[in-house]
Amino acid sequence: MSGNPVRTGASAAVGASPPPETTTREPIVVTLDNGLRVVYESMPWLPAVSASLVMPFGSATDPVGLEGTANVLHEWLQRGAGELDSRGHSDALEDLGVRRGGASSRESSSLSLSFLESELDAALPLLASMVTAPRFDTSEFESARELALQELDSLDDAPTQRLFDELLARFLASPQGRSAYGTAAGLAALTPDGVREAATRVLGADGAVLALAGGSDWASIERAVTSAFGSWRGATTPIPPVAVAPVARHHVVAESSQVQIGLAFPSAEPGTDESIVYNLALGVLSGSMGSRLFTEVREKRGLVYSVSAFSRGLRGFGYTIGYAGTTPERADETLSVFLAELERLTEGVSADEFDRARTGILSSLVMQGESSGATAARLASDMYMLGRARTLDEIRSRIEAVDLATLNDYLAANPLPTPMVVTLGPGALELA
Amino acid sequence: MKTFPTVGGGAGPALAAPPSGLRFDHTVLANGLTIIGEHNPAAATVAAGFFVNTGARDETPDVSGVSHFLEHMAFKGNDQYSAEDINRVFDEIGAQYNAYTSHERTVYYGAVLPGRLPTLLELLSLMMRPVLRQEDFDVEKKVILEEIAMYQDRPAFQVFDLSSELYWNGHPLGNSILGSTESITALRKEQMAAYHRERYSPGNLLLTLAGAYDWDAVVDQVTLATAEWVQVPVTRTRPTAATLAGTDGQSDAKLNRTHVAVYAPGVGKDDPRRYAAAVLADAIGDSGGSRLYWELVDKGLADNASLDHESSEGEGVFNGYISTAPERAQAVIELYLATLRRVQDEGLTADEWRRAQRKLATGLTLRAETPLGRLSSLGSGYQATGEYLSVDEVVARVMGAELATAQELLAERPFDRAYVYTLGPAD
Repeated sequence: MSGNPVRTGASAAVGASPPPETTTREPIVVTLDNGLRVVYESMPWLPAVSASLVMPFGSATDPVGLEGTANVLHEWLQRGAGELDSRGHSDALEDLGVRRGGASSRESSSLSLSFLESELDAALPLLASMVTAPRFDTSEFESARELALQELDSLDDAPTQRLFDELLARFLASPQGRSAYGTAAGLAALTPDGVREAATRVLGADGAVLALAGGSDWASIERAVTSAFGSWRGATTPIPPVAVAPVARHHVVAESSQVQIGLAFPSAEPGTDESIVYNLALGVLSGSMGSRLFTEVREKRGLVYSVSAFSRGLRGFGYTIGYAGTTPERADETLSVFLAELERLTEGVSADEFDRARTGILSSLVMQGESSGATAARLASDMYMLGRARTLDEIRSRIEAVDLATLNDYLAANPLPTPMVVTLGPGALELA
Repeated sequence: MKTFPTVGGGAGPALAAPPSGLRFDHTVLANGLTIIGEHNPAAATVAAGFFVNTGARDETPDVSGVSHFLEHMAFKGNDQYSAEDINRVFDEIGAQYNAYTSHERTVYYGAVLPGRLPTLLELLSLMMRPVLRQEDFDVEKKVILEEIAMYQDRPAFQVFDLSSELYWNGHPLGNSILGSTESITALRKEQMAAYHRERYSPGNLLLTLAGAYDWDAVVDQVTLATAEWVQVPVTRTRPTAATLAGTDGQSDAKLNRTHVAVYAPGVGKDDPRRYAAAVLADAIGDSGGSRLYWELVDKGLADNASLDHESSEGEGVFNGYISTAPERAQAVIELYLATLRRVQDEGLTADEWRRAQRKLATGLTLRAETPLGRLSSLGSGYQATGEYLSVDEVVARVMGAELATAQELLAERPFDRAYVYTLGPAD
């Protein structure tokens, strides 16, 4: 261990395949000397370990005119590290049977691995070297950029994904509104030296989070993490504050069979008590096939196949996205019903609706807690967004502490804001 | 500690210990319904699902899409439960639940905390005997038509829907799962009711459980709930496929990219070489680190170039997909096919084989972490073969699949019989 780690939280209970329900699951958190925050939750009955490294760069930290820097940097990181070239590094991971994942998004970029517990000591150095010793071979740069350009191009053939990009570009006035893919002009303007220089500003341990969960023990995790990540240095750039644009309605003309309808409005900040209350309301609105939106828009009227509302978080800022896809002649009615349901929420929810929403949220908490990947993702999100990792018990008791009156008082006092509405399809809506 | 088993004299880790505490349960009720379960004492939840051995391949052209439409109608309830009741009660027990339809299977499933399993089983059981109200049928028809419209906007899906029937060349595995706007519009409730009577016989159903449950209580409850179900004989035609080779396609001016579907003959579920076929497809066309990845995606020539192997009853297929820029589509397709032929001519290296095996094994292990993740492979595996395989046994079979078996498959030169269908903007 490089120096003295700062440890919060007790050691996880380790036993022989105890049922998860009866296990005290305390995440262990340490901060390495270099500032990397590491969080681990032991799930000793599992054969695998999942690891997720979240770093504070994304399209929001791209320089103006060079949009797409984070996307290409994220791809380039995965093309050779340390002694291994791109092929060699990939082969080394695959020799261990590692499943890889990760994405570059608006405020963060992630690299994730899942592997059998027996491969811990071999797999973690391969994850670490991508950020501690990326090769940044010039020969790999053009391919990484070309791939990013192609993905951007593919967006035109994926109307739902494109809608979300168009919606957030209009909803968020700050750099978080930029597409995670970048822009064609920005990608074209990138140079290998420019992206290498960008890495010196954003690719640092201080501000990053490494979350792990699964069937290992803390001593092994601590040893492997410290040895692999202890040498990571580098700087990070602050994420700009979020700003929201004035509410408006837009239509984007696109040739498609369905009209894509997107709504966005600010909502409770992630991790706060308010967000616990708000998410119960959102559960009534759209948590399941018995929820209000699904019932009113799909079950009763047959207007759509897909309709939903879900919350999303940026650092210190929460927002809600609404989505529906329908054929053009039914788009106006779909949007009206959707908006009416948002308004109706202010009137409060019934005791039965409240109970169902709460049961659903508590139940899915247990289910996510059975998966190493979902647990690592929860820990990473908590550490990254809130600066601390909540236990499953804490989340559960905070949900259980909310009663119907609290929720209805909250909804009466906080009517949902008028949403930004963006539609994408062959013709503009009358309402839009 | 768990490690992958290996075969031969490799330096890999030793054979894994048997799974701790898993128990396989099995019974067949008097009405012909089979129930199986994999009890896991470490599970915090339980998943259950009815696997109906019916799908698009069992449809005649006049009812194209009925299996999938019926899957939606099952959620509309019976004489005691309305559609709203069904969704409400699923929510009351905090279930994660859904259903899906494939060419040969329709599956209804949910996961709950163990104490709520009786209600989940009650709901799933009554859904197998839906009442098919006319007003529900009419509203749901609109939903299905919206679903068809949605997929029309997804060319990566559409390219397969357009080409599957052509490749299969009259074999029912080429039937469309969704059906067409025309076939769904014309479909009548009575046709659906007849299809249900013929296909949802208890002997054609498998109830599968995974996770934490009380086996005796499950069997008692399901025996009572399904006591009135009457068994009728159910058959499935298994004609020999005479699949098409060559190239075809069509243009769609609104597209920005060229989307390509690739088909080549594979092996069926009853063929023990299916494990080798799965490893082979992964080594050639996994999304990372495969032959196609290095030839096409790594170089930025295509943003997707993949290959899968799918085993069905009696037949199998290697399914490939490419997404690329229209101006280089021809060159990319040629490179894609040349990559397949090169593997066919020269085989794979031992390293490539082992990497693909290990990636598949890790993926199987991860999916089995949750009862809901485990349910699908447990039920579909048993339904296809009548054989229970623990995850460790499946992993052992994947790790035990031999490169020589793949070479044997390649010696039949499946990629010489590839069918390539292109959907892109006009030239």
